[in-house]
Amino acid sequence: MLRFLVRRVLAAVVILVLISAVTYVLFFALPIDPAQLSCGKSCTPQNIALIHRNLGLDKPVPVQWWDYVSGVFTGRHLPLGNCPAPCLGLSFTNDTPIWSTLMDRFPTTLSLGVGGAAIFLTVGVGLGLLSAWRQGRLTDRIASAVSLLGQSVQIYFIGPLAIFLFADRLGWLDAGHDPDWSSDPVGSLSGVILPCLVMSVIFWSNYSRQTRSLMIEQLSEEHVRTARAKGMGSAYVFFRYALRGAMGPIITIFGIDLGSILGGTVITESTFGLHGLGQLAVSAVLGTDLPMEMGVMLFGATAIVAFNILIDACYAFIDPRIRL
Amino acid sequence: MRLRNARYAAVLAAGALSLTACSAGGGGGPAADSGAKAAADTITVGTAADSVGPATPVPGAKKGGTVYDLEQEGINHLDPAQAYTQETMIVSQLFARTLTGYRIDPKTGATKLVGDLATDTGEPSDGDRTWTFHLKSGLKWQDGTAITSDQVKYGFERLYASFETEGPSYVQTWLSGTDFRKAYQGPYGGKSLPDSSIATPDSKTVVFHFLAPHSDAPYAMALPDAGPVLKSKDTRTGYDNAPFSDGPYKIQHYDSGKELVLNRNPYWDAKSDPIRQAYPDTWDLQLDISQLNLTQRLMAESGQDKDALALVAPADPSQTEVIATDPAKYKSRLVSQYQPYVEVFNLNTSRIKDVKVRQAIAYAMPIKQVQTALGGSPQGDLGTSLIGPTVAGHQASDPFGKLATPQGDPAKAKQLLAAAGVKHLTLTFAYRNEDRWQTVARTLQNAFSKAGIDLRLKAVDATSWYSQISKVDNPYDIYVTSWSADWPSASTVIPPTMDGRLLADGDPDYSHLDDSHVNSEIDRINKITDLKQQAAQWQALATDIIKNDTPVVPYLYDKYYNVYGDGLGGVTYNTPLGTINPGSVYVK
Amino acid sequence: MTTVTTPQPRPEPPAPRGTGDPFLSVRDLRVRFATEDGEVRAVDGLSFDLERGRTLGIVGESGSGKSVTNLAVLGLHDPRGTTVSGRVTLDGQELLGAPRKRLEKLRGAKMSMIFQDSLTALSPYYTVGRQIAEPYRKHTGASRHRARQRAVEMLGRVGIPQPQRRVDDFPHQFSGGMRQRAMIALALVCDPQLLIADEPTTALDVTVQAQILDLLKDLQRQTGTSIVFVTHDLGVVADVCDDVLVMYAGRCVETGTVRDILKTPEHPYSWGLLSSIPRLKAPVDVPLRPIPGSPPSLLDPPPGCPFHPRCAFRDEVAGDRCATERPQLLLTGARGSACHLDGDRKRAIFADRIRPALGRRPEAASPAAAGPEGPDADRTAEPEADRTVADEPAAEPEADQGEGNR
Repeated sequence: MLRFLVRRVLAAVVILVLISAVTYVLFFALPIDPAQLSCGKSCTPQNIALIHRNLGLDKPVPVQWWDYVSGVFTGRHLPLGNCPAPCLGLSFTNDTPIWSTLMDRFPTTLSLGVGGAAIFLTVGVGLGLLSAWRQGRLTDRIASAVSLLGQSVQIYFIGPLAIFLFADRLGWLDAGHDPDWSSDPVGSLSGVILPCLVMSVIFWSNYSRQTRSLMIEQLSEEHVRTARAKGMGSAYVFFRYALRGAMGPIITIFGIDLGSILGGTVITESTFGLHGLGQLAVSAVLGTDLPMEMGVMLFGATAIVAFNILIDACYAFIDPRIRL
Repeated sequence: MRLRNARYAAVLAAGALSLTACSAGGGGGPAADSGAKAAADTITVGTAADSVGPATPVPGAKKGGTVYDLEQEGINHLDPAQAYTQETMIVSQLFARTLTGYRIDPKTGATKLVGDLATDTGEPSDGDRTWTFHLKSGLKWQDGTAITSDQVKYGFERLYASFETEGPSYVQTWLSGTDFRKAYQGPYGGKSLPDSSIATPDSKTVVFHFLAPHSDAPYAMALPDAGPVLKSKDTRTGYDNAPFSDGPYKIQHYDSGKELVLNRNPYWDAKSDPIRQAYPDTWDLQLDISQLNLTQRLMAESGQDKDALALVAPADPSQTEVIATDPAKYKSRLVSQYQPYVEVFNLNTSRIKDVKVRQAIAYAMPIKQVQTALGGSPQGDLGTSLIGPTVAGHQASDPFGKLATPQGDPAKAKQLLAAAGVKHLTLTFAYRNEDRWQTVARTLQNAFSKAGIDLRLKAVDATSWYSQISKVDNPYDIYVTSWSADWPSASTVIPPTMDGRLLADGDPDYSHLDDSHVNSEIDRINKITDLKQQAAQWQALATDIIKNDTPVVPYLYDKYYNVYGDGLGGVTYNTPLGTINPGSVYVK
Repeated sequence: MTTVTTPQPRPEPPAPRGTGDPFLSVRDLRVRFATEDGEVRAVDGLSFDLERGRTLGIVGESGSGKSVTNLAVLGLHDPRGTTVSGRVTLDGQELLGAPRKRLEKLRGAKMSMIFQDSLTALSPYYTVGRQIAEPYRKHTGASRHRARQRAVEMLGRVGIPQPQRRVDDFPHQFSGGMRQRAMIALALVCDPQLLIADEPTTALDVTVQAQILDLLKDLQRQTGTSIVFVTHDLGVVADVCDDVLVMYAGRCVETGTVRDILKTPEHPYSWGLLSSIPRLKAPVDVPLRPIPGSPPSLLDPPPGCPFHPRCAFRDEVAGDRCATERPQLLLTGARGSACHLDGDRKRAIFADRIRPALGRRPEAASPAAAGPEGPDADRTAEPEADRTVADEPAAEPEADQGEGNR
């Protein structure tokens, strides 16, 4: 287990360093000068040179990159302010430390991701189980139809619809606001329920279909037959044996979907006017805010890598044949 | 050029038209009357009497409550010295006062430039080279400290600091020349600006000595950077997150890019302030909300959104038709007003050298279809003057009869091309790689083919739009830009966009016009000290440029078009900035 | 078909035989699967009986319906797409169409099954001990602790060393033979009265196979369980079975005691099965003769005798009866076969053409008339029908079988 962790974390660090390097190269390959974007009418050559110096853009790209990477560990003193470790630079847009902005936005994205995933796993896997249990019958078809909903809609379409219906018309749910779990847990919960729900919808169909076929496959497995031959009840066999077998693949799919979940939060955040990493990424790209782009990218990548390690560790619990 | 958001310039500088990636969906014909009207005539320079507070009360207004502002952009800078976007400029008025400001009559909308901190709009002397401002008495900071003239001087000294790169630089340039940081490096080295630049003969008097006459100095003193800074509270770059207030509100909570909460500053005295009524107790600005989301929230106005508005963000183009076609629901809470932006097609004069060809293009241009593609009348009205309706001296001029044949006049274009001896004309149209600009591009292509012009389309990354088309050797013939006046005078429009002597990459003379006649006219008109006369001369020059040089084809005057929550009253419009005026808003 | 009680004396089990009440009785069992290509008649009118304490071998090639039959007995077929008809009674209780709950109570308790591939038949997710204890808890209501003790005890009984420790191992931590033993422990944990063993040794190597067979015989002796032993290996049949049922294309083509079937088989298919087994004592120059062709499609079985396309003796039957008329299973007591050849002809062909090729001496030519073979007879083909299975030294025939049936 320890060796597994060490190996994976080292690999992750290599990946992150590569990502940061590639991002730097790509950013500077674009014909955009952040200085020019920020100076407006005051774009005299003197002003542009000054902005370049303030933003650290006057140094060669490899040096900038190295300053950035080492700054993550040591912190930096930049012309536009101090940047304590872990320093991911100062935003080109508003000169605030990237790290503090990320920390401020992460809870929203995490809430959406975790909440949305909890809902779509419950609903998607639940519908899939129902379909498999009542395979070929009316219930199966209804469950499939419900899950198909998710396949045919988009967040930016059902989001406003859901706000209109549940928040404006019926008044059942909050139209969505940024959570602040430490000071207002109840309000935070009500603020993220609708966004989580909406985000989860697009994942329903995949999970219910996958669960259904995995369960049907598992139910025809010989060890499941053995369990039935032992006289175990059908529900017991269904959940303890077939579902147990289907869990590994479902978690694998979930691991692959982590990126999509992050992507889903981007759209959800903008649909509900929430301030998370996704929305931050969008405005960073539009504003050519390199440190922010980099920060969100690295943070997102780290989160995905970390969750993947967690998921791989989960396998060891689910499947005793796997040793870490 | 004032940008909606300096950092977002590439995407946003074309005014409202580029604020969204959503397609306008073709627009369903002209919407209901937009209600916007030319405001230039109503912007005047007020007297000392006009500069006396309090601001004209709004009938029926009451104090208290919280107003929610939903914005598409972040504020990004709270330091007034860094404010040069619509968001930063309008929001800074809530906590930072300037020497002058615009007093807006809540009933008529008439706008006057008056003294804000100053007792009037300044006394010129020495042929408008020297400007003297007297501070009102009883002005206080948020901790009760009195506001003095040397704090004002310190505020201007700060503008020279190396980190203050994003704000306007009119006053610095006027005081110290184009390379003003060479002359002075800011107050942090322990040195002050010499009295020959800014003098403070007593604690209430500030005297500016400019290198050249600047008759529009009173306007420049209404920009957010023209205010005092208390030295003991100056945290340099940190001031950007926590400025010290002398306005009606102070910063209670600021979460950059997310939320700004302002509440009352007890030391602000309404009687000293002619431009801010400041009825609500709290302003809650919610930032970085998608345009669609904020529009839908304002339309639905559920919960606290009933007390919400968008100071800067216009309605999402996908919703404007809904708003326009349901007057019963929205008309009573709709604001539709001109913004100071004029949208133009730039004709690259270093590539299309024959003016006859440029004029042919002007005739062929289907401005009506372009307007429709962009979202119709709520986005802007057809306009053909280089100087927009919010700027002093604005006069309608239409040398190519665009308003009569807004769909384009291919016959006339062909005629001119034939006269120029051009047979097969192939041009390159560059456009932002966004849905609606793609539609515009195709519209243009169709219309031009009728005039015998073969238009090649070239999509350009939206984020780097201005960087790419502002290159002097850019390979495009036609591209869209927009320009806004910093104050209602064409001296912030014509010189920067039409003077070819400083042509360089990034220069806003996007058409590369470098005409000796135009250049000499600019110098001549700049020297006129009578603002009214100057305004008329600018307009005459603008008309002349369009007609005889045709470096641009103006086609649209941008509009602010959005609804606000029914729970609010006293919603007036700040024409010079093109935003809602927060000063007069109250919670019903 | 009826497997009538053979009169041979058996020491075990003590249960009376010949009472006329078979413990397991299958009558006219038909199992059909609906597939996209049509209906598959996997089992087509099968009948047999099994008495307490006896072992019935079901022999046939893959796809002949052996396993399907057993799953039908246990009620393990997926009701969707499968039609099961006929009657299956266990100890007088009708199983077909019985409520799911009742079947669940019987499965694992009164009747249980050993599957062929213990690697796939045991769940990889639970310890061997838990999988063994589970049915015990369910059927006896024992405590978790007691059930675990029982699992340890069972593992010990099936010869797993250090059962106390191995009980917490997962199946993948067991070797193939150990896993099969665990599978047997699982099947026997509730002392079932009927044990269905579906090719329990096929996947194992020879020595392990022998040990497992010994174990089964041993356990049967101790508990008196009735066993249905499915195999395609006649050597194994010789070793463990009392009676044999030869299946082909979902039907019974021949049945009888193990002695009948191995010594004097009457159906050309049975001959084919015998001929395809190599023998240690046979002359080396006698070639193996696998049955030509392959089993028929059950989607579209051939008319007449389903074996006729592969049968070398169809010309011996007058006319084209084999291809047109389905031969009935004709029983004389418990003995019978389904073939159009008449009895004398069958005996003659076996004696003259099949038996010599098996490497046996021609003297033993009249099996029907002959008594038990002398001690010099080939043991594999001629097991002592009335032997006490478990008493017999197993090594020799098993080694023999092993070689022949890989």
